Amino acid sequence: MLDTFEILTTSGVVLWSRTYAPVNPSVINNFISDVFIEEKGAVAGARNSQPAASNPLYKADQHTLKWTFVKELGVIFVAVYRSLLHLSWIDKLVDNLKTIFIDLYGDQLKKPNTTIVECRKFDEYFDQQYRELESSGSLNTARPAAIAFLSEENAIQDDTGDEPPLPPGLKHRGKAQNNSQERPSTAESTPNTSRPSTPSGNHLVVAKGGPMGKMSRRARKIKNNSAPVSSGDEAPARKTKKAPKKGRKWDADGFADEEDDSLQLDYSAVHNTLTSDSEIDVVARSTAGEGVDSSSWGTKTSKGQFVLKDLDDEVHSILESAEAKNASKTETKGGLVGSGLSTISSLFRNVVGGKTLTKEDLDKAMKGMEDHLLRKNVAREAAIRLCEGVEKELLGVKTGSFESIDARIAKAMEASLTKMLTPTSSLDLLREIDSVIKPPATSMRKPRPYVISIVGVNGVGKSTNLSKICYFLLQNKYKVLIAAGDTFRSGAVEQLKVHVRNLKELTEREGGRVEIFEKGYGGDAATVAKDAVREAANEGFDVVLIDTAGRRHNDQRLMSSLEKFAKFAQPDKILMVGEALVGTDSVAQARNFNSSFGPGRTLDGFIISKCDTVGDMVGTLVSIVHATNVPVLFVGVGQHYSDIRNFSVKWAVEKLLSNS
Amino acid sequence: MEVLKQFLEYLLTPSTEVFIIGALIIFLLPVIVHFYIVQTTPYTSLPSILLVGPPAAGKTSLLTLLERGDSAAATHTSQIPQSVELTVSDDHGATTFREAARIDAPGSHRKFLLVDTPGHGKLRNQHAMTHIASNTLRGIVYMVDAASLDDGLADAASFLYDVLLALQKRTGAGKTSKAPTAIHVLIAANKLDLFTALPASLVRSNLEAELGRIRQSRSKGLLDSGVGVDDIGSEEQDDWLGQYGSEKFSFGQMREFDIEVDVIGGSVLDGKVDKWWDWISDRI
Ligand SMILES: Nc1nc2c(ncn2[C@@H]2O[C@H](COP(=O)(O)OP(=O)(O)OP(=O)(O)O)[C@@H](O)[C@H]2O)c(=O)[nH]1
Ligand SMILES: [Mg+2]
Repeated sequence: MLDTFEILTTSGVVLWSRTYAPVNPSVINNFISDVFIEEKGAVAGARNSQPAASNPLYKADQHTLKWTFVKELGVIFVAVYRSLLHLSWIDKLVDNLKTIFIDLYGDQLKKPNTTIVECRKFDEYFDQQYRELESSGSLNTARPAAIAFLSEENAIQDDTGDEPPLPPGLKHRGKAQNNSQERPSTAESTPNTSRPSTPSGNHLVVAKGGPMGKMSRRARKIKNNSAPVSSGDEAPARKTKKAPKKGRKWDADGFADEEDDSLQLDYSAVHNTLTSDSEIDVVARSTAGEGVDSSSWGTKTSKGQFVLKDLDDEVHSILESAEAKNASKTETKGGLVGSGLSTISSLFRNVVGGKTLTKEDLDKAMKGMEDHLLRKNVAREAAIRLCEGVEKELLGVKTGSFESIDARIAKAMEASLTKMLTPTSSLDLLREIDSVIKPPATSMRKPRPYVISIVGVNGVGKSTNLSKICYFLLQNKYKVLIAAGDTFRSGAVEQLKVHVRNLKELTEREGGRVEIFEKGYGGDAATVAKDAVREAANEGFDVVLIDTAGRRHNDQRLMSSLEKFAKFAQPDKILMVGEALVGTDSVAQARNFNSSFGPGRTLDGFIISKCDTVGDMVGTLVSIVHATNVPVLFVGVGQHYSDIRNFSVKWAVEKLLSNS
Repeated sequence: MEVLKQFLEYLLTPSTEVFIIGALIIFLLPVIVHFYIVQTTPYTSLPSILLVGPPAAGKTSLLTLLERGDSAAATHTSQIPQSVELTVSDDHGATTFREAARIDAPGSHRKFLLVDTPGHGKLRNQHAMTHIASNTLRGIVYMVDAASLDDGLADAASFLYDVLLALQKRTGAGKTSKAPTAIHVLIAANKLDLFTALPASLVRSNLEAELGRIRQSRSKGLLDSGVGVDDIGSEEQDDWLGQYGSEKFSFGQMREFDIEVDVIGGSVLDGKVDKWWDWISDRI
């Protein structure tokens, strides 16, 4: 059933694992770098200790990963199983094991300067939970098949609908609610089955996106079809089961609602009800277990495993007390605050540092940071996500000596920004070109020209930036062929010719060589590009720079031709030119361009032009990178051919955090 | 109210007790604050060895092996640095890390911190550079996977370039003020148990050749954003690794900056890390 279950730290050490079928380690490694480091996919940004059910599934070729994360201890719990299986109890297994593990070994995890956690005994706890939940899960295997099918569909969707937009609480709120209302009719035959399908339902909504429209319509259709069928033959059974539960759910709703903030009310309310629901479920079952021992635990006791019984009790008491703690935490909040002594000591700590940051401390300061970022022209969406990340990171952290809250926040923000803007693999363009045009003798590759194509909306300076890159290459004595791929706008070819003439004059002495490849107007850009590459290979050019027609990112017809273009020209690098200016919809442009090259191909980088005109307001850079996960490689800083620069993360971060 | 008034009156009348208490407060408060701060700041003065390198080189594996003494733990991609307190012995009471890992190892000991850093491209520079700036640093172990050096050479070398350049600048900056302790670099060629692995000598020559090429292309590369035209002349020499203007790069050129570079092979999986351990022991 389960392939493997691992408990690992953020520093990369596996603390405990159980393997039933070997899984390639790269599955979990990719999971870590996608979800935690690169934060691909919207909701990814590892939310602290939220139940596994509300974390998005992670899918890797044949496997599905369910996970949860405890931030303050830096521990990740991940279960890997075959995507074909539909394990309804897996969320609960992950959550319960998390609670138990933290309860048993939390103290050891807090020890500094060691990676050793003595947890061999956890085997028994794992076995106990696994057996218990699996047996409770198998009672439900007679689930309507339609549901399994439905969530499979969801999963596919989730897989291919790459990088859905951020979780805009407001936007999909309504739909999420719809889903949860629909859910009872399809899946709520027992509490256990309802849990895993709800989050994937949410996910379906989040993952909506252009190219996958068809798929989701199909999925929706199936869902609609399945609803009446299942509700038809299950209705009576469900009624009886649900009736007693209703009462409990009510209190759960009660306090869940209290602490919700207004924005995401519905969204989190759904989750909250689910968690408390599940936990209450555990309580209910454990108390029931004591009374009616023969019914569900009968098999175990009949085999004479008395030791197990003790373990059962222990596990249940751990889960219960964790539940109780959760409940009391929400109730007694704010009771202690305001007593004079603690205020004075907190003031004192404010000055000398060593203060443990609380939500109230952070809230105000974070608001300031958010405004600061907005002033720097960072899109609201990105600013909010950055601030949320920092706030989560700092909650419960102690400030250093003589360090104010603001300084601590600035430090954390600097780290977040640096992480976001730093590319996963840095680009040394000349080095890369060299390795393609003169491959090392040991690698069996044939020399070929290096192909760069430049895309973007109208008037952002595609040809200008292309010429700047060309100038740089010519200075380094490369032979460059410029392909006029803009066969659409009249005058585009002539404009390029002017650039080429200028470049020839400028670099005559340097020893580079530049020519233009053009086929006039009206032809197919993809074919022109392909021919240019072939010609370059024959004529011994080193680099091909392809100019493309500027296009509105919402012009379906022109955008769809980009896919063919990418297939025909096979560029090594597709760079998009964007503007740093305030008030342009750069983010939407970047998103649309990034997803227009067909499956498996995205932009390789951005050139951000006109950076000299915006001063410190370089927030557009952040918004674009945030929206696409594609790095900024170059920035344009002026009118001259030499006014192009490597993008320096440090420079950008300094500008963003500077106060002026 | 009455009590308060009396109390205030008492405080404001100059009497011996009030003077003594006042003086005590004045003299003791700074001391208390001092101890408070000293106690809350983490204890950082242990010497440290930094473990850096490209992803999946085996850094975390080595860390866990040295800590546990018997065998390495299973690992996955690291996201945060992790330091571990280890002991070397002064008088060769415990010659191997296996003995040193035992609590009751013979001889007298010195403790140090081994700091593992993530190798992921987004995280590594940030963490490596902050640790290189730290003044408790005694040495750097740069770990590479000798079995995948064919594909990973460019990546391994460009990160190594950054690390060496940062060290070079650190020495350069130190020349004007007090000289910082010389920091040596060990290039640990890991995974020599695999048959595709290159021997240490080849790892060395491949890295040197690639570093030379990177140095060449970086000197011709575009300027970084934020670097003004005026800084060009002064900045130039700073970004050149090793002997300025030399044709070929070799690790020997780093001696000019008090940086010794050794390349030693080994394997975490087979537990063949004694030579690395000796190197580390010499640094502490
Ligand atoms: N064959 C072989 N494999 C090894 C050796 N050392 C480590 N490995 C394996 O290499 C993989 C990566 O090791 P890690 O220690 O996680 O690598 P890392 O350098 O910490 O990687 P990051 O944290 O991503 O930077 C693991 O699967 C190890 O089992 C070795 O000496 N031989
Ligand atoms: Mg690691």
